[in-house]
Amino acid sequence: MVEAVLSRRRRWQARAARRMRPFGFLLGPVGVILALFVAPLVLLVIMSFRYNSLYGTQTGFTLANFRGIFTDPAYRTVARDTLIMATTAMVLQLAIAFPLAYFIAFKARRWELPVLLLLVLVDELNPIVRIYAWRMLLGRDGLINDALQWIGLTSRPLDWLLFSKFSVILVLSMSWVNYTTLPMYASMKAINPIVFETATDLGAGWFTRWRRILVPLAAPGIFVAILLVYVPMFTDFATPALVGGPSAYMLGNQVADLMLEIGDWGAGAALSLLLLAATTLIAVVAYFLSRLNTLD
Amino acid sequence: MKVSQAVIAGPAVMERPAPVRARAPLGLRLRRAAPRFAGPIFVGVVIALLYGPILVLAAFSFNNSIVFSLPWAGFTTKWYSAALADANLRAALTNSLVVAAIVAPVSVVLGTLAAFPITRFRFKLRGAVAMLVAAPLVVPWLVIAVSGQLYFNLLGVSLSWLTVLLMQIVVTFPLVTVLVAARLARFDRIQEEAAVDLGASQLQVLRHVLLPHLTPALAASFILAFSWSFNNFEISYFVSGFDQLFPVWIYSTLRHAANLPVVNAIATLVSAAEVVLVYLAWLFFTWRAGARTAREKADALLEVVR
Repeated sequence: MVEAVLSRRRRWQARAARRMRPFGFLLGPVGVILALFVAPLVLLVIMSFRYNSLYGTQTGFTLANFRGIFTDPAYRTVARDTLIMATTAMVLQLAIAFPLAYFIAFKARRWELPVLLLLVLVDELNPIVRIYAWRMLLGRDGLINDALQWIGLTSRPLDWLLFSKFSVILVLSMSWVNYTTLPMYASMKAINPIVFETATDLGAGWFTRWRRILVPLAAPGIFVAILLVYVPMFTDFATPALVGGPSAYMLGNQVADLMLEIGDWGAGAALSLLLLAATTLIAVVAYFLSRLNTLD
Repeated sequence: MKVSQAVIAGPAVMERPAPVRARAPLGLRLRRAAPRFAGPIFVGVVIALLYGPILVLAAFSFNNSIVFSLPWAGFTTKWYSAALADANLRAALTNSLVVAAIVAPVSVVLGTLAAFPITRFRFKLRGAVAMLVAAPLVVPWLVIAVSGQLYFNLLGVSLSWLTVLLMQIVVTFPLVTVLVAARLARFDRIQEEAAVDLGASQLQVLRHVLLPHLTPALAASFILAFSWSFNNFEISYFVSGFDQLFPVWIYSTLRHAANLPVVNAIATLVSAAEVVLVYLAWLFFTWRAGARTAREKADALLEVVR
């Protein structure tokens, strides 16, 4: 009798221990996330509904920050410019990355590994250094303008090469194109090349092969690439700050200026929250598209 | 016999006139050759666009001139000595290295701790926990940085390299979780059961069975976490206060547009160090993993990327 009770108790203890085991592991990581990620985000939401005056942040609920963002036409211009620049850069990268990934996956042969290694290695370089290197090249007295004048394509240095939407789009694309390529390469690598041969035997030209086989099978990789790259480009502020100038101001710059220069933390928090909402929407759409099997 | 031999040999010994092949017109020849060269040229151009600016920067860091343009003004290493003598820069580099040296091991430990329950245990909150741990990878760093700035202000913690350290840990260890969890998911649990059947204790299983399997993922995580932390700009910029970190130092130096040759020199130095270290790490890796063929090496590389 006593033994039965004891053994039942022991079994219960063992089960409780087993049930608690995951939480022993998770105590550290989840604690860190709650303390340094969730709590700050909650505070961000609260701050976005607080009014900010010259005397600091006031208590009490207000929608003034959001109203300010939605009614001020300046914000609308910045939002439109951000959308244009990030989207153009994304399209440009897809146009570069898709043939690049195809080449590495199917045609490069013994160059496959070196090219892949170069694409991974470039990401270890400091992003600010990479942006800065472009700025040096594109400037009025930069090497590209020198070269263009030397060839004789222009007589005067081109001003739109730097501190323009062009430079932001170019530098954003070059900062992220390796990230765009790798997931596409991974999904193309999973395609058995025999399907291409079969299609050729059945009389499909290269365009049909790409449209009917390559694009549908690589589609998950394309959407993963968008998920990885579009969101950070959308919220970038280092690139426009270093190569953009006033004509290529992005929402990220707006947030940085509100938080660090102007000190309007309520508006900064509200704008960050809206950026988070927009990027979440992008991420969710890209994620579900990546899950779709477009080959039905 | 002779007849049949003659019949067989017959046509072969007959002299055929050498075919007169007209050279195809240049346009056609180019069009035929184009598919063979278009690919390599395209890849070459993209690689040149990725590395070219840094290489030009490196070349100009030896140029004896304050402006970044031709003509070449002579070779010098004075910008390097100037860079290394700059106290602010030295402080920034030291801070960044110290932060990365702490972030990397802490992230590896936290990330691995989180990867175990997510891949191996069944419990009610598993899905929720997995999403929570992955969330810092999805939320833009800008938003995390802003919320961190507000948070430390509310708590009354003054911003310094310590706050950078804390925020970087929370954005970096989920990456480790993803890498280690992917590796764990490919672990054959029979090996573990075999070890237990042979009398191994839990600790021995961990030491002799699991850890060797996880080593590549752990090493890759360490390297990635280190470089993420060292290269991180957005978060460092918002929560570093008056302490300098290397990317923030470059950024603010550029905004004030002074000492550009010094920036060239230090940027070259750091880039070279990064490339060499990562390349060596990768060589070590493929050597340890016993990858010999190009295919295996590519797989090892992709494991890090995915």
